[in-house]
Amino acid sequence: MEAEAAPQTLATDVTFECRDVSYSYLDRYPALDGVSLTVRPGERVALLGANGCGKSTLLKLLDGLVFPSSGAFTAFGHPVTEDTLEDEQFSQAFRSRVGFVFQNSDAQVFSPNVREEIAFGPLQLGLAPDEASARVDEVIAMLDIAALADRAPFQLSGGQKKRVAIASVLATNPEVLLFDEPTAALDPRSQYWLTDLIEQLGAAGKTIVHATHDLDVLPRIADRCVVFSEEHRIVAEGAPEEILADRELLLSVNLIHPGSRLP
Amino acid sequence: MSEQAAVSERVQVPQWLLQPELGMCPCGCVGKRKKGSYLRKTLNGGAGLLRQVMFSDDTARQDGLLQRIDPRVKFLSVIVLLVAAGLARNIATLVAVYAVTLALAAASRLPVGFFVKRVWLFVPIFTGIMVLPATLSVVTHGDVVLTLWHWHGRAEGFTSQGLTSAGLIVSRVAVSISLVVLLTLTTPWVRLLAALRSVGVPRIFILIIGMAYRYIFLLLNTVTDMYQARTSRTIGAAKHDGGARAFLGASGGALFGKANQLSEEVHQAMTARGYRGDAKTLQSFRLRGLDIAAALCCAALAAAILIGDHVLGS
Repeated sequence: MEAEAAPQTLATDVTFECRDVSYSYLDRYPALDGVSLTVRPGERVALLGANGCGKSTLLKLLDGLVFPSSGAFTAFGHPVTEDTLEDEQFSQAFRSRVGFVFQNSDAQVFSPNVREEIAFGPLQLGLAPDEASARVDEVIAMLDIAALADRAPFQLSGGQKKRVAIASVLATNPEVLLFDEPTAALDPRSQYWLTDLIEQLGAAGKTIVHATHDLDVLPRIADRCVVFSEEHRIVAEGAPEEILADRELLLSVNLIHPGSRLP
Repeated sequence: MSEQAAVSERVQVPQWLLQPELGMCPCGCVGKRKKGSYLRKTLNGGAGLLRQVMFSDDTARQDGLLQRIDPRVKFLSVIVLLVAAGLARNIATLVAVYAVTLALAAASRLPVGFFVKRVWLFVPIFTGIMVLPATLSVVTHGDVVLTLWHWHGRAEGFTSQGLTSAGLIVSRVAVSISLVVLLTLTTPWVRLLAALRSVGVPRIFILIIGMAYRYIFLLLNTVTDMYQARTSRTIGAAKHDGGARAFLGASGGALFGKANQLSEEVHQAMTARGYRGDAKTLQSFRLRGLDIAAALCCAALAAAILIGDHVLGS
């Protein structure tokens, strides 16, 4: 189960491919160290690890928001770099195919009201206002947030903000969804709702990559787990059942405590 | 790390933490009371701002006269009326316009008492004090109507010319503020921004105002949290000394850092959804008969102000 180098695959078979990727904040604080990862279409991948192990950084890298200091990252068979994202056509295609739900909903919900927030993505990606507006109404109905449509973000609770953040990403209908700690700081009902939604989106064929240390819901929302050590490296990959059965591994990467009970 | 080692790695609690600290006097006597600090007052002011915004949101959603008019028409009408009021040179004209704003407030279901208070709370502070010297004969020469002192045998005090000029400025400011308050209390913030955009204000400017407005509340919450965290650890009376000032400085610095980090995340969130420097927004404005009638009424009012003022002036 130890991490192995990513196998050579055909570009069309691969959604994301990271090869020996490293990244440091301010060239000083390492966040990723020699990470190799392949994500295939329709897969549901969970990135597991303790706080500060590099999960969020990897998600930002997969979304083309930060770029590796060494190694290579390709998405849908094309290299993703600062240069390639300067190309308007490539950038638009990439952004419309990949959606990112940030951990901090306050950063993601930046528009003056919920309706504008959900419309932001579709409008940026070139949909006509009428079409964007119709799409906004449908997403609002799907996520049952009609009562929030005209509210300002500061009038929303944490769970409501998370729903709006997810709606704002789903409105662009991306093929790939990246979730950073999706269930963190949510009440049990919101957690259950979100888990259910991720499960349904996965069943609908979306590729899902999420960073989490919530082990309870893993078997429901992941087909494959990628485990990070506190040294910012991938130390294991496998099916959720396999990973959850390896208590020594989970202890060594600080995902559980000896006093913890596993699901 | 082995499981056993991890279990045995327990926190060593110092002895003093296991003993109760001497707290309040057990007899329950009451100590001296002090007034709240300037910090608390400032934060309460912040909470007041939030209440005002929520109140404005409520009034903007009521089914009144001005709420039914297209925000673009309202915005342009206010500009036209501001210019007309600015050109008026008679207090009587401005008093008449002020009466119209009161009537519009009532027709828009705004609490008239609140509307009047909101305008007149600031006019004396910002304008009254400023024009006060101009009412005196030492600044504006003319007929002294109220003598305050004598200088080399000549009476000095308020002059009728000075009082008229001051009255004109104060009434002009009051009318201008009333018009702007009418606009903001009857138009939801988002639609006001969209109206600004549609009348040619640059998109990036609108985006920055919108985001500043959105995040000011988040930062306000952060400051309140920081203050409450400090209050919960302040034993005894809060002092208004160097420590309080140091806290204020440190909070400002920490807030600046947080705002910087947040702005970076917000930019990433925007980029992730396709933002490339040109933000687009939903706009759904359509001019109706009422809007055209409102625009015509505004034009007629502006003409009446200018003609009436000219007649009164002559």
